[in-house]
Amino acid sequence: MEVLHPSTVEEALALAAGDEDTYFVAGATLVQLDWAQGLRLTKRLVSLDRIDGLTGVEATPDFIRIGSLTTLAALEGHKAIASELPMLLSAIKATAGPTIRNLGTIGGNVGGRRGCLIPALLALDARLDIARTGVRQRVSLVDWLAMGRDPDCVIEAVVVPRSVPTRWTYRKVGLRAGFMPAIIDVAGLLSVSGDRITQCRMAVGGGGAATRLHEVEALLIGEPQHAIDWQRVHAALMEAIRAPEDDFRSTRYRRVAAANAMVHGLGGRLPRKSRPLSPVIPSDAHAVPGEIALSRQASGDCWHIRPDGPAKIAGRLTYLTDVRKEGMLVARILRAGVPHARIIDIDTSEAEALPGVAAVVTHRDVKGSNGFGIVIQDQPAMCFDKVRYVGDAVAAVAAVDAETAARALALIKVRYEPLPVVSDPLKALEAGAPAVHSAGNLRTELYFERGDVATGFAEAAHVVEAIYETPRQMHGFMETEGGHAFVDEGGMLNVCAGGQHGRRDRMQLSRILALPEDRIRVVSSPTGGAFGGKDELTVQPALALLALKTGKPVRIQLDRKESVMAGTKSNPMRIRMRTACDADGRLMAQEVDVIADSGAYASLSPAVVETALEHACGPYEVPNVRSRGRLAYTNNGTCGALRGFGCNQMTYALECQVERLAAACGLDPIEFRARNLRQAGTRGYLGQIVAPTERLNEMLSAAAADPIWLKPRGPSADDSEIIGVGMGMNYQGNGLGTLPPDPGGGILRLAPDGAIEALIGMDEIGQGLLAAVRNTVATELGCGHADVRPIVGDTGVAPESGSTTASRGTYVVWRVAKETAPQLATDLTAAAARLLGRTADTLAIAPGGFAERGSNSGELLITFADLARRLGPDSLPSAETSFEFPKSDYFDGNARLVFAFGATLARVAVDTVTGQVRVLDVSQHTAAGPVLDHAAYLGQIEGASVQGLGFTLMENATLREGEYVTENLDTYMMPSIHDAPQSMTAFALESLEPDDRFGPRGIGELGIGAVTPAIANAVADAIGFWPQRAPINPEAILDALAATA
Amino acid sequence: MKRETSFRLNGENHTVNASVDSRLVDVLRDRLCATSTKKACGIGRCGACMVLLNGTPANSCLMMMWQVEGADIVTPEGLDDVAEAAFVRQGLIEENAFQCGYCAPGFTVTLTALLRDVAQPNEQDIRDALGGNICRCTGYRSIVRGALRAVELKQEHGV
Repeated sequence: MEVLHPSTVEEALALAAGDEDTYFVAGATLVQLDWAQGLRLTKRLVSLDRIDGLTGVEATPDFIRIGSLTTLAALEGHKAIASELPMLLSAIKATAGPTIRNLGTIGGNVGGRRGCLIPALLALDARLDIARTGVRQRVSLVDWLAMGRDPDCVIEAVVVPRSVPTRWTYRKVGLRAGFMPAIIDVAGLLSVSGDRITQCRMAVGGGGAATRLHEVEALLIGEPQHAIDWQRVHAALMEAIRAPEDDFRSTRYRRVAAANAMVHGLGGRLPRKSRPLSPVIPSDAHAVPGEIALSRQASGDCWHIRPDGPAKIAGRLTYLTDVRKEGMLVARILRAGVPHARIIDIDTSEAEALPGVAAVVTHRDVKGSNGFGIVIQDQPAMCFDKVRYVGDAVAAVAAVDAETAARALALIKVRYEPLPVVSDPLKALEAGAPAVHSAGNLRTELYFERGDVATGFAEAAHVVEAIYETPRQMHGFMETEGGHAFVDEGGMLNVCAGGQHGRRDRMQLSRILALPEDRIRVVSSPTGGAFGGKDELTVQPALALLALKTGKPVRIQLDRKESVMAGTKSNPMRIRMRTACDADGRLMAQEVDVIADSGAYASLSPAVVETALEHACGPYEVPNVRSRGRLAYTNNGTCGALRGFGCNQMTYALECQVERLAAACGLDPIEFRARNLRQAGTRGYLGQIVAPTERLNEMLSAAAADPIWLKPRGPSADDSEIIGVGMGMNYQGNGLGTLPPDPGGGILRLAPDGAIEALIGMDEIGQGLLAAVRNTVATELGCGHADVRPIVGDTGVAPESGSTTASRGTYVVWRVAKETAPQLATDLTAAAARLLGRTADTLAIAPGGFAERGSNSGELLITFADLARRLGPDSLPSAETSFEFPKSDYFDGNARLVFAFGATLARVAVDTVTGQVRVLDVSQHTAAGPVLDHAAYLGQIEGASVQGLGFTLMENATLREGEYVTENLDTYMMPSIHDAPQSMTAFALESLEPDDRFGPRGIGELGIGAVTPAIANAVADAIGFWPQRAPINPEAILDALAATA
Repeated sequence: MKRETSFRLNGENHTVNASVDSRLVDVLRDRLCATSTKKACGIGRCGACMVLLNGTPANSCLMMMWQVEGADIVTPEGLDDVAEAAFVRQGLIEENAFQCGYCAPGFTVTLTALLRDVAQPNEQDIRDALGGNICRCTGYRSIVRGALRAVELKQEHGV
């Protein structure tokens, strides 16, 4: 790669000399996106950044002339642009993100021929000042675009005529609210003199080449403004607009959205009648006593700064992927790259011979059992006979640096015999489908029946049936999978990679490596987000094999593309649900049939489907139930655990069904639910015993009393949006359930430096484990927060506490503190009393050490540090406990004992122009027992809410024949700050029944569970249409709006 | 093509021999061990690798070595010398703005520039400035609260 830096335009042209493989660049932001997508892999760049005179804005009486190297950010802040060219400013603000605009230039945006400014500039009739060898000329942008790419041309300036249109519009439609490529963007303007339209220019871009719409303009020019036939204009736009089709949006959608945006933006009315809305304001609404709002202000003394906050914010926290050591090798993993193939041969000889390569490993290096999986070990650590998805690991290399490792990877020769790709879970289950695994594609089938379903439906007054489809959501943790490994002086293999259960990772590694567990130490914290996506092994096998083979420290971090390719995703589900109620709105029967995609391996997918089915009736009593679930192997990546664990999908379907039935009965959604909520003291869905605390009635009351219902609803003043409010209820099981082992435990001790150490073998994945440990131990022991030092995520020091999943950590922390603190307090007090020559009953534990009981002088008789020093390292008190997470009494299937309860409300605006849905407000009511840490609790609820919003409105890891279409965060859309609701509120109801001994419930998953149905029901409130597929397709919304017209 | 590139990093001069198209984020993390700069997408779409480039927030994964010759680069480690960073950090800390924290240094860089450039940014200014920073854990609400608290702290200190 060569970069040249001419100092004049002439020099630049001479350097390029018409060479097709040479590109001019300015900010060079676009060219890198192209490279990431494998486009324009040029070897030669001519950078224009050192040429003088190409920046700045010059205003003449007729034109605004903008130097091509002027950054978009500079234009954003320029007065002349704001006052003279508001349409251009609007387009600039919609281009990329703010920091990209600090780098990107107007010339680059235009020169790349796909920039979002082009439609606006076309509508503004912009010209370009261009230079060719020996020639300078001003050409219209239209003509320049028509000429096609010309390597012998430098854009020197963009020149925009000064004229103030009567009306203008610019609208960009993307896959989310901000920082996204255009699905379609339109720009249009009208000038009117008297009542006559004297000038009209329209342009459309996005996805395809931007074009002027001369035919449509001609319909308007010369016409009286008041008499424009907008319906005819709309039809003409539909005819004229050319737009591509892709995996995200259809050509038809792009045309409709663009035509709507143009007509609406230029003052026309869209052909639509809004449904007469009869807003439901729940009756009998009163706030729930004891429910508290969560915020720094409201929480007061209960608001603690999380222990890892300051270091994280200052960038001083070393993540496991940040460790750099002298002599550390860099690893890379060779992925299959093909979705389904037999491996004929793997030849690593050339890679091994490359200077700088320390080792290459393949299945031949796997000494133990070459398979992993939390429940079923069907995924090879290194593939040997076949590959089943694009991200399958085939080999790994360790080299002196990343560049050498990348070169070595390219030298590994794998010969494949392609196999037919299984990409549809339904077809995967048909007879004769190609087998992903030799035992067949039906990974798991589950069936459950209770009552008399046929009679239930036969006697019902109302029956609704629908198929709901859910996306393949990516966890989207910001720190991609990675870490480092080394063999220490004592021969211990250290594997340090973000995870969610160190001891299980160690056990799985032991099986793969044929190495005893006591020779392996796994460090799995801290990690930059997990959400279930680091529950299964990720890079650990490759790291371990390479560290063992080389004897040197090795590190790895997947780049995002590899992370997308290799990592698990949520299980896409197709849920057919048939639900019945009587004339009074009492649920009578429920029939559910789920087809879920497992991808290439099992991981936790069977348990996800089982959990989904366990929540098939949600928090409602339904006497007659039949459910069936089938999980199919395919070559669609690989799936597994994701926050919510199947409940989110099922709750989406169920809560929409509930509201449809409510509408059919003429009942408001609160009243309908009230008639069907399960009552405290009854058995669980599977007939199991459940914990005594139920707070569903309270959650429903809180939802009914929420002020969100009183906020404006219905059509906006300009009719461009219709606002609706919706809700969903959920309950989320805690813990792994009756069938799997579910250990908990921990140690509390005085450390040699006087810290109260709490050793818990769980992981800090962001959820606030450290804060919870510190608060809970301080509360139980009576010491200060700062005295407590949590030690987590390290099998070398922390005991077995079970996995950091399934909303179980809160309980484990609480119970460890409850069970160890009294013992430690007794032992510490006895030791202090002995040293102080007092009796134990005169001492009290206080922040920092021991104080005189009953005294509030603040004086310490002995500090913890002094106590530890005087006791000596061998006599420091310690208390430990281990236990099984509380289990229910049902073992025919997996059942939960402990639940948390919630209600989510959302207010949304449905855009009648584009069909897009914008979430305005989210309010969440939760009942999960005592709150261990207010900030962490609030953070979990808010974060889950927006992750759920992503699932509902924009996220889907799309595959085509087993290959990911969404390879990085430019096409896999996670919510940006512009997508997050303007207002979010969270409430907690802490009370437990007197006989409830299960303490605080986990809230990691509660907040995500009912977001999707709340949004879907809010859409239905606005336009009378329940979206049956997430992410909600705006095309379906536009169709629904058209249908109600 | 490898060549020597010189730039200032957190006030110190550095010269690195690297390919002209090496990304700044990789050079920072792998050659100079400045690992507060995180990498989460590598294509300018998440802001985890945000640095101040001649004082302006820029995605270091989009900056190639040839673009940083002679530049003044400040990574999150180097923000100690920027007065506004103290308010930003304190505000974010008080509100417990982050969870996993991997995106936090990038947000801190962007917000520091905002507080330096705008006297009293409001919520909309904050949201607009953060349009290129992705956070998966928090839903952004806590970050907005932390930023507003930082603005408050700045006012309190009469800056």
